Amino acid sequence: MKLVVTICLVMLVIAGALGVARIVRRSTLGDRAVAFDMLTSVLTCALLVSAGYLQDGLLLDLAIVLGLLGFIASVTIARFIEARNGTES
Amino acid sequence: MNDVLMAVCDVASAVLMLSGSLLAVISSIGIHRLGSTRARMHATTKPATLGVLLCGVGALVQFADVSDIAKVLVVVILQLVGAPIGSHMLGRAVGGK
Repeated sequence: MKLVVTICLVMLVIAGALGVARIVRRSTLGDRAVAFDMLTSVLTCALLVSAGYLQDGLLLDLAIVLGLLGFIASVTIARFIEARNGTES
Repeated sequence: MNDVLMAVCDVASAVLMLSGSLLAVISSIGIHRLGSTRARMHATTKPATLGVLLCGVGALVQFADVSDIAKVLVVVILQLVGAPIGSHMLGRAVGGK
């Protein structure tokens, strides 16, 4: 079980690093918002895997907060992009 | 009997967690390789629901406490409801390109 969890966490770290690279690289705001969305879901996955391995309920509270925060953040960025496009055109 | 059940639970949760993590890696590769913003969104929205669902169910079979199971269910349902709404708004904001 320890080996499986280690492999899972390494894969999730690779995924998170690629997402961060996508955000840091010069790209549009929409691309960054999409990458941020992916990053929160990868972090939620990592928290769930760690919580399952450690049998720790506290990490699940963090996962709930992170899920809510990711949803609110992506909705806010989407509304911001919409408002900005509306004023430009 | 209990040992057999625990072994089955371990194997099931290992398979589920590995497939969820693999999905996350595939989406992070797709976010770099695909061409437009909407194509990248296609790569990221699958793990946002299915990957979290797989990892959540994989963690679910490890827990014995009912309150922990309820928390996992809250996480998974929240993600299943929230991620499509956020992705839909983002896709509408980005526009058809």
